Amino acid sequence: MSLADLILRELRHHWANALLVTLGLVIAVALLVAVKMTTAAAERETRRVMRDLGFNLRIIPRATDMDHFWTHGFSDQTMPEEAVRRLAASHGVFLSFNHLTPALEGRLDVAGRPALLTGLGETIVDPNEGKQPMGYRLKPGQVILGRAIATRLEARRGETIRLSDREFTVERILGESGTDEDVRIYGALADVQAVLGLPGRINEIKAIDCLCLTADEDPLAQLRAVVEKIVPEARVMQLTVLADARARQRQMAERYAQFAVPLVLVVGAGWLALLAWLNVRERRAEIGLWRALGHGSARIAGLLLGKALVLGAVGALAGYALGMWIALSAGPEIFKVTAKSLRPEPILLFWALALTPAFAALASLLPTMAAVAQEPAETLRAD
Amino acid sequence: MIVCEQVERCFPAATGAVRALAGVSVSIARGEFVAIKGPSGCGKTTLLLALGGMQRPSAGRVSFEGRDLYALSAPQRNRLRAERIGFVFQLFHLVPYLTVRENILAGLPTGSDVGAAAARVETLLRQLGLRERAAARPGTLSAGERQRTALARALVKQPALILADEPTGNLDPANAAEVFRHLAAYQQAGGTVVVVTHGNDAAPYTTRTLNLVAGRLVEADRPVNTPVNADQPIPSL
Repeated sequence: MSLADLILRELRHHWANALLVTLGLVIAVALLVAVKMTTAAAERETRRVMRDLGFNLRIIPRATDMDHFWTHGFSDQTMPEEAVRRLAASHGVFLSFNHLTPALEGRLDVAGRPALLTGLGETIVDPNEGKQPMGYRLKPGQVILGRAIATRLEARRGETIRLSDREFTVERILGESGTDEDVRIYGALADVQAVLGLPGRINEIKAIDCLCLTADEDPLAQLRAVVEKIVPEARVMQLTVLADARARQRQMAERYAQFAVPLVLVVGAGWLALLAWLNVRERRAEIGLWRALGHGSARIAGLLLGKALVLGAVGALAGYALGMWIALSAGPEIFKVTAKSLRPEPILLFWALALTPAFAALASLLPTMAAVAQEPAETLRAD
Repeated sequence: MIVCEQVERCFPAATGAVRALAGVSVSIARGEFVAIKGPSGCGKTTLLLALGGMQRPSAGRVSFEGRDLYALSAPQRNRLRAERIGFVFQLFHLVPYLTVRENILAGLPTGSDVGAAAARVETLLRQLGLRERAAARPGTLSAGERQRTALARALVKQPALILADEPTGNLDPANAAEVFRHLAAYQQAGGTVVVVTHGNDAAPYTTRTLNLVAGRLVEADRPVNTPVNADQPIPSL
């Protein structure tokens, strides 16, 4: 009788035992898959929420009068627009910076009272990472109005307003923010350059750091070193509170993932090892019998390890399906911002199918070897 | 056929080592039907397992057909056991997920020609009254049927020696007598039988009885029956 035939017959005969072992494997694999997926989702969600806090780096002309900058909120100096492309084109810049957005900001009288005007160019992201550009995306001729400006102009969405003899369509009106955003008008960079009479010039590059270092790790020195090398006419300002909060939150999410996944892995592995050990122990008399009949160690080990492999494969498949179902059912309720990013991950199926049978066999290996190495009399006497 | 020389076997215990066999020397010739008798714990089963290459003695030597059993490697000893020695246990030790016929076939050495053995299996099933139960699993068999299946498994490879450890311990007198009759038939056909037993139920069939007390062979009863001619071929029922 072939080994495979013996394994299948034993499985059929001890179906309740096989079912329990498989159930244990399914639960372990499902837990691992669900935790792995939801941990990854939690990290994604954290990154997105942190990103939505806004830019935390401001790259401004080196010659900026800092008294003016702090009292007005923008630089009194400009630099060429191509500086942002020079920065983006530099090798390794996206190791330190993310989401490079050229901007020109200035003051403008609107309906006889001052307003802030911000022109935003196209955001440049790391082409290798495929990240979504953040911030507003405006077409030429469109503007976004802060709440106070909209009230001042009695403007509504879709209406046309005039700024320095140019007409713009109101794309959107922002909600009341309680900040200077309320008196701000956002437009396309080229439009604002025309309105302010500064074609081809910018006075800021907005960015996010991706070093993910906290304030006590002095990330600013590293960022400044990069910028000074590539764009010597610029300097970097960091909104440290925001940057630090972002870094801490992100590090917390990563630390949690580093804790949760290995924990589940260890518990799952321990569970599998216990099941394997119990299975071999339960079959000690049978092992003794096969040995007494003169069957070789390799065949007996194959009988036990083969069973572990079969149950491992079944457990991996069913566990992956269950874990995926749990993650896809519960995930969107928990991670609302990045819900659409939760999708089946075939790579986890691959790993489950590769590792679960291997681990189940490995966990069976030690008790099997111990049982096979004993004198047949010992295992028969133990019955 | 089997020669035991000063065989000792000690087991570790909380109170110190327990000596199960204390220098047993015995020689069993081909064609004999030998009973090993003695009280519980006197070392009967230990001696039987040592004779079958299943329990290495702490000291002494066991030879089977001229070869020192425990000087052989484990695979060589496995092979020898698979081809030349049949076992019958008190607790039957049938594989629960195999049918009666498959359990009998499991007694063949790995790599045997199952097709060639099929006729022999059918003969054994008929002779041992198991034909109607050939497709049944051990869980549905009576104690007598289980022991006859175990006996058929030991006989299917036509071994030179059958070692039986209290084969009738769990059987009623009628079934016990039937098992001994089959063992005696095998011995009469030229086989060698060594059986461990508590009582005297094997006496009508044995050629010699060894009495074991506290791991020592105290006396050997005179032969009652006659050993068969040692030149006969290996038996086939």
